[in-house]
Amino acid sequence: MAMKNVMGIIYTGEKDSFLRELTLARAIAAMPVAGRYRVIDFLVSGLVNSGVKNVGVIMQKNYHSLMDHLGSGKEWDLHGKNDGLYILPPFLTRENVGVYNGSLDALHSNFGYLRRSRQEYVLLCNSTIVFNANFEEMFEAHNRSGVDVTIMYTRNPDMRRPEYGTYFEIGADGLITDVEIDPTRPRYENTCMEVFLLRKDLLMDLVDRGAAHGYHDMQRDVFQRLIRDAGMRVGGYEYKDVCYRMDSVQSYFKFNLDVIDPKIRHALFREDNPVYTKVRDELPARYLENAKVVHSIVADGCIVDGTVENCVLFRGVKIASGAKVKNCVIMQDSQIEEGVQLENCILDKQAIIKRDGRLIGPNAYPIVISKDMTI
Amino acid sequence: MSRKKQCIAMLLAGGQGSRLGILTANMAKPAIPYGGKYRIIDFPLSNCTNSGIDVVGVLTQYQPLELNAYIGSGSPWDLDLAHGGVYVLPPYVKGKQGEWYTGTANAIYQNIAFIEQFNPDYVLILSGDHIYKMDYNAMLRYHIDKEADVTIAVREVPWEEAPRFGIMNTDANNVIVEFEEKPQKPKNNKASMGVYMFTWDKLRKYLAEDAGDPKSSNDFGKNIIPNMLGDRQKLFAFDFDGYWKDVGTVESLWEANMDLLNMPMPIDLYDKKWRIYGRNPGVAPHYVAEGAVVRSSLITEGCEVYGRVEHSVLFAGVQVMQGASVVDSVVMPNAVIERGAQVCRAIVAEGAVIGAGSRVGEETGNIAVIGQNVKLAAGSAVLAGEQRDQ
Repeated sequence: MAMKNVMGIIYTGEKDSFLRELTLARAIAAMPVAGRYRVIDFLVSGLVNSGVKNVGVIMQKNYHSLMDHLGSGKEWDLHGKNDGLYILPPFLTRENVGVYNGSLDALHSNFGYLRRSRQEYVLLCNSTIVFNANFEEMFEAHNRSGVDVTIMYTRNPDMRRPEYGTYFEIGADGLITDVEIDPTRPRYENTCMEVFLLRKDLLMDLVDRGAAHGYHDMQRDVFQRLIRDAGMRVGGYEYKDVCYRMDSVQSYFKFNLDVIDPKIRHALFREDNPVYTKVRDELPARYLENAKVVHSIVADGCIVDGTVENCVLFRGVKIASGAKVKNCVIMQDSQIEEGVQLENCILDKQAIIKRDGRLIGPNAYPIVISKDMTI
Repeated sequence: MSRKKQCIAMLLAGGQGSRLGILTANMAKPAIPYGGKYRIIDFPLSNCTNSGIDVVGVLTQYQPLELNAYIGSGSPWDLDLAHGGVYVLPPYVKGKQGEWYTGTANAIYQNIAFIEQFNPDYVLILSGDHIYKMDYNAMLRYHIDKEADVTIAVREVPWEEAPRFGIMNTDANNVIVEFEEKPQKPKNNKASMGVYMFTWDKLRKYLAEDAGDPKSSNDFGKNIIPNMLGDRQKLFAFDFDGYWKDVGTVESLWEANMDLLNMPMPIDLYDKKWRIYGRNPGVAPHYVAEGAVVRSSLITEGCEVYGRVEHSVLFAGVQVMQGASVVDSVVMPNAVIERGAQVCRAIVAEGAVIGAGSRVGEETGNIAVIGQNVKLAAGSAVLAGEQRDQ
């Protein structure tokens, strides 16, 4: 119940150029994953499962598909009279040019939303990491330690990247003593999960002062300076479960294929922390006479008559008889016709591979077929 | 004063469905799971919303808890509205006395006040017993066009089966001239589907008269329709020739599920213009493991298949372990088929566990049934036609 006093803000304006054609028409937060979800479902569900009732989603560009997906917030029980889901797109005012230069700009533009919200605490999150957390324990740890800000981190080595990410040095007392942003070679093993918990009045003060100094980015310009210069007490909270960063075509591909593994899937989709998403009223998946499916996950609405191995089939995918697909991620409503052979491919929504087509990608780098393409 | 609705629907969902045996021990028949992710009541509710009828009163009486929870606010069917929507109507105490619904007509009679809130011209009476897709709006236009007092949806059934139904004898203009309940020697093969479109003023009058008759069994088929016929009111038959399946017995419920495995399906559930909506379980896509075999089946999200599944319908969250096989069967949500167990021609109800190495059902004979949450010990044998509720 304590979490009723915490609001969530999700910033979805991250750099997405590494994801190439997959993010041409959508934000990373709206990327389809794991057969029937979008990246943002995990975070919103985690917040709701933790007891958060007020979630603001800051949108930057390409936000049509994200808005369409979140709708009224009903699927997450965020459609109440008080609180609920707030979609916060950029807007033009005298001070505001419409496009945010960073998360601080975005928060400054949405000062009114922060002020009006009744909660005393804010969980500030980015949207490119997929994980299924319950934030209650983090909130308790924050209150127990009496720090000003708590930042979630992980020691998962797969989360470290050259020239990308934020890394912490953490002292024996659990306080963060140094921060490095985008180092060529990360020196600290503690990788920032981009979840920040602090009092709302402190956040508003930091945003106001940051904006007044012409700063744009919360991590680089505010939190890093706070730790280095202002002597504020910033604590680390370790997240120990499964997490994935969606920052490249390869990492997107790896995440989807990893989810097929029951161990990883069960860690991510837990009965006590269900992941909600927009519902599409589809029939169960249909297996026809010639279907041969092994080690794959298949969503409702699929019709399979071919051979499928180590694949993720999203809702409404059709695999004709005689087709062979292996190590592929095939998004919603794509069609694979007779005799087609696919290996190491990502097919975006509604792609069609015509009869006897053959696309074999290298293991290390999947072939990406854009949305609505016919080959 | 609320806004007027031209037509509202009243859905009779209080029936026990006793011929379904242990499957309806804890839930009313309309709540029975069907087709991997639906319940029977999804069909009339989706038909209503697709036909533009946005007030549906659901009359419950027998084991209503499961049904109440399922219907909830009505949002899966877009029936969570500020003006209208779905209303669950159990019997309640009026004045000094309360009474149960004594018959189908009595259930509507006891809810006249509910109906009048919407000031409708027409009231559609539905039952929650059948699988079918029907445009009630087309039926309403026909009813208005014919200036009928009541229009009854009818479907031609095979002559040899006609004695099991209420049969409508009609003239050349589809005017109903006689109604025979389960006739030994049917003169016609047009069976009543239990779907009635009434002009509300007429229905209200006949409900009141029926309530005043102590000898009446307060039933639409036995009392209201014969009384209206006797008074030479205008009764019309509305022909329906689509898929229509009563799922009133274990065998017919099993058959209706097996029907969905045929392509093209006898009832097209892929039709995007007439979707059937239901409450979604909200679980991850299903998983088929290395070494598993799945053919000619419908598999719902949340399932995990390590064994063999052929010609079967698996509901959400079913687990089929290594070496287990499921053939010609219906397995309802979250049931577990443990290692080496064999299930053939059976219905396994929600949450049941079939212990390792068990044999349920046989290749011929009647359908075996395992009840809700039954834990079958390892190595059990359940014969064809047998029902296990513990």
